[in-house]
Amino acid sequence: MDPQKMAESSDPAFLGEYLANLPRQHHAHPGPARSVREDHFEGHHIVVTTTYEITVDGRPLHIPIGLSNDGTADSHGLPNYQFTSVMDLVRALITYFPDEFPPGGGHHHRAEG
Amino acid sequence: MAVVRRNVLTDPDSRKAYIRGVNLLKHENSGLSTAAFGIPGPAAEVRTYDLFVIWHAITMSTPVPPGGNPHTRNGAHRGPIFLPWHRIMLAWLEAHLQRVLADPDFGLPYWDWAKDGTPSFPGAPVNPGASALWANTPDALGGEGNPVPGGGFRFDPNDSKSFRVRIAADSSGRLRQVPDRGINRRFGQAGPIGSPALPTNADVLNAFNTLFEPSLATYDLSPYDRTSAGFRNRLEGFTGPGLHNQVHRWVGGDMAPASSPNDPVFFLHHANVDRIWEGWMLVNGREYLPDMTAPATLLGHRIDDPMVSPFDPSGPPATPRSVLDVTGTYLYDVAVL
Repeated sequence: MDPQKMAESSDPAFLGEYLANLPRQHHAHPGPARSVREDHFEGHHIVVTTTYEITVDGRPLHIPIGLSNDGTADSHGLPNYQFTSVMDLVRALITYFPDEFPPGGGHHHRAEG
Repeated sequence: MAVVRRNVLTDPDSRKAYIRGVNLLKHENSGLSTAAFGIPGPAAEVRTYDLFVIWHAITMSTPVPPGGNPHTRNGAHRGPIFLPWHRIMLAWLEAHLQRVLADPDFGLPYWDWAKDGTPSFPGAPVNPGASALWANTPDALGGEGNPVPGGGFRFDPNDSKSFRVRIAADSSGRLRQVPDRGINRRFGQAGPIGSPALPTNADVLNAFNTLFEPSLATYDLSPYDRTSAGFRNRLEGFTGPGLHNQVHRWVGGDMAPASSPNDPVFFLHHANVDRIWEGWMLVNGREYLPDMTAPATLLGHRIDDPMVSPFDPSGPPATPRSVLDVTGTYLYDVAVL
């Protein structure tokens, strides 16, 4: 890390152009959340596929959910969390993204998935 | 000459300069629009400060290696890269602040959150929300609320020069434009939504206690993810009391999503995380794992792998190795130990 070079490059366009040219990540998650866990155990290959069908106020919630081999869950939406229950995860999403879950029922999660 | 990063609570000059610099970056057009980053909606100018919001959200959605599972580890979190990547991100913000402040000696201040989380004597009540950091005065960050009611980053819908959140991540981590609004904070919510307490001084010291937990003498250990033993994961907060993660959860509001740099306390928090890492290296050596003998499944986390960070094409990209010794760039006024 060279402070002189960083000072010379501390132009907004330098950082902005770099970020704009990064590969786009795909956040589309059509359909129920699906997680695939794999492990090798005593010469065997274990695959556990889990599908969650989540609704909030009757509407489907399509979010990426990561499951670990200890059964805990995480979501891109809350990177500093690891939940012991997917119910808690959804409760946290409702708390932190209230505009996606307006009072009265119709939650606004993106229909395009 | 290295700049000095100082305690934001005890150094009012660095606190005032930070607030002024962030507001300047918040009003500086980057020259790029939201369309350049694939953010839906009408193209809108992206401010320089908001580039750091975008950078964080993109990086933590970036699987490393490509095609891997970002839930297992990604370009910013849940793996060995956590500390080096945030270090380089903070260094770039510091460089931009030095530019807009026209002060090459400016050092990014840090928030020693463990001090605010520790009772003044055993059994004394703790009220971190009463810290001077959160005062609703122009030289502090404002307290909790939606929006925060005062401070140097107060939102006023009728004042276009007041601080605004313009881009935020949604529940999937996807960036979106948001209607003009201020910063949202909600301190000390109960778990699992939040964290009712900040880490304490004892929690930080215990992260150095290799007699009690020998793995803490090692930077990181296989499987190099959020289940790992070792120092990195203790500080990131997926093991032990929570440390870094716990602070995000205690502040709440905008500090929880992938766009957490929207709250300027993000950088003060991470400067303290970086200070703790620097303290660990002073004790345990400037060691990093995994090295380049690790398999390609750990590409993006190994010591000489490029990080998701801008670099001059005429030179090498930033790697974990390139940020292990930053003593020529900055120092902390007070070591952790």
